[in-house]
Amino acid sequence: MISRWSDAFGRMAAPIGVGILMLAAWQGVVTLNHIPPYILPGPALVAKTLWLDGPSLLRSLWVTLRITLAALAAAVLLGGVLAIVFAQSRLLERCLFPYAVILQVTPIVAIAPLIIIWVNDTFLSLLVCAWIVAFFPIVANTTLGLNSADRNLAALFRLYGASSWQVLRLLRMPSALPYFLTGVRISGGLALIGAVVAEFVAGTGGAETGLASRILEAGYRLQIPRLFAALLLLSLTGIMIFAVLSWVSRRLLAHWHESALPTED
Amino acid sequence: MACQIAAEQRTGALLSLERVGKVFRNGTVALREIDLAVAPGAFVSLLGPSGCGKSTLLRIVAGLTPPSSGRVAWDGEGIAGSIGFVFQEPTLMPWATVWDNVYLPLRLAGKPRSAVRENVEGMIAAVGLSGFERVYPRELSGGMRMRVSIARALVTEPRLLLLDEPFAALDEITRFRLNEDLLQLWRDRRCTILFVTHSVFESVFLSNRIVIMTPRPGRIAEEVAIDLPYPRDEALRTSQAYAEQCRDVSLRLARSSR
Repeated sequence: MISRWSDAFGRMAAPIGVGILMLAAWQGVVTLNHIPPYILPGPALVAKTLWLDGPSLLRSLWVTLRITLAALAAAVLLGGVLAIVFAQSRLLERCLFPYAVILQVTPIVAIAPLIIIWVNDTFLSLLVCAWIVAFFPIVANTTLGLNSADRNLAALFRLYGASSWQVLRLLRMPSALPYFLTGVRISGGLALIGAVVAEFVAGTGGAETGLASRILEAGYRLQIPRLFAALLLLSLTGIMIFAVLSWVSRRLLAHWHESALPTED
Repeated sequence: MACQIAAEQRTGALLSLERVGKVFRNGTVALREIDLAVAPGAFVSLLGPSGCGKSTLLRIVAGLTPPSSGRVAWDGEGIAGSIGFVFQEPTLMPWATVWDNVYLPLRLAGKPRSAVRENVEGMIAAVGLSGFERVYPRELSGGMRMRVSIARALVTEPRLLLLDEPFAALDEITRFRLNEDLLQLWRDRRCTILFVTHSVFESVFLSNRIVIMTPRPGRIAEEVAIDLPYPRDEALRTSQAYAEQCRDVSLRLARSSR
């Protein structure tokens, strides 16, 4: 246990050290060159702003996070179901997959205004935008996973007269799990990006505004330290989402998948 | 009475292949005119070089590949549900424990866990893996994984067990152990075995009948009866009789492949 913690510390020490050095250099450059805070605030000022504006920024973060998580949940659900439909029917896959690709390759910034016009509810329109960005990796990965079940195992299921539901439930879905989880991890980050981009397009409106609108607003008003603080919160949120999803993925794949096994030494 | 016995012998084969042929979609003739009868309780090896269609023949018997011509006939009522299959690779579900892997055929047949617990655990014990029920395949050695695969194939108490070069990827020591254990299982359970191999030594050690096949297209060259007494064990491997049988079969195999 002790060695595991010290191992973890050893692995973390290097990147943390680099981070501290970078922050010190940043602060040094700002202080020595007397750079005004509306051009580039030092890290100390950013931290102070984060502390002072914290409560209001966190409220905005909660707005963005709600959209992100709802979009991710919708992407997991609809993406998963769509992948299963694709895996069950080659015809449906051939019919629908190109449209999923079109939805994916069209820049969200370009269609967000339309969606915001069409969908009256602000929350819902932002959710739809974030969902469009997030759902494709799940569909693509899960479809691939469902189709990559071991051939011989599939033959064995056939030999024992398994129903197609049994094949799906006991063979194809477990085979697809690592692929699906990779899709979810990618989508977690994309959902946040989608939510932020959609908020940018929607602009500052309504009583509740997300972090993206706060960034826009801070930019207009040259409140650069606040802009940095909001940006920092966004990055931390993205990292947290990724870390949580990675942890879930490792937990689910423990025991059996190569990616989740500890290194042998 | 005598008449009845004669009729029994004619129809007594558990499985008979009649003029079975297989042409793949790309035009390759994999099998031509295969006639083969397997008696109940027999241990038959299909011996031949790679590409002689032995594995294809096994898949046809299992019903996994349809033959292009000829037919596969079974003794009596549908045996189709009573086949066990062991692949070249252990082909286990990596996400499931040993217990769940062995339970799979029964699960697919709709049998609840509680009803077959003794059955599954008895089978795991029979292949020498008691205590490994909760272990995942990743944590097992190659030989142990193959044991799980054999346990899975036997858990439904099939009348016919098909094995497709199951021990080819194992080291020699493990292979010898598994050969002996497989013979033990065969004798205890009184099933019929059709065993595909490219090893003369393995086929002579295991079977009471060897079917020698030749490649391109896959045909049966000849059949050899092996009269060495069972139980066969380590002592047999080093015996003169075994060496002579191996030599005889090797010569026949070489002659047929020429």
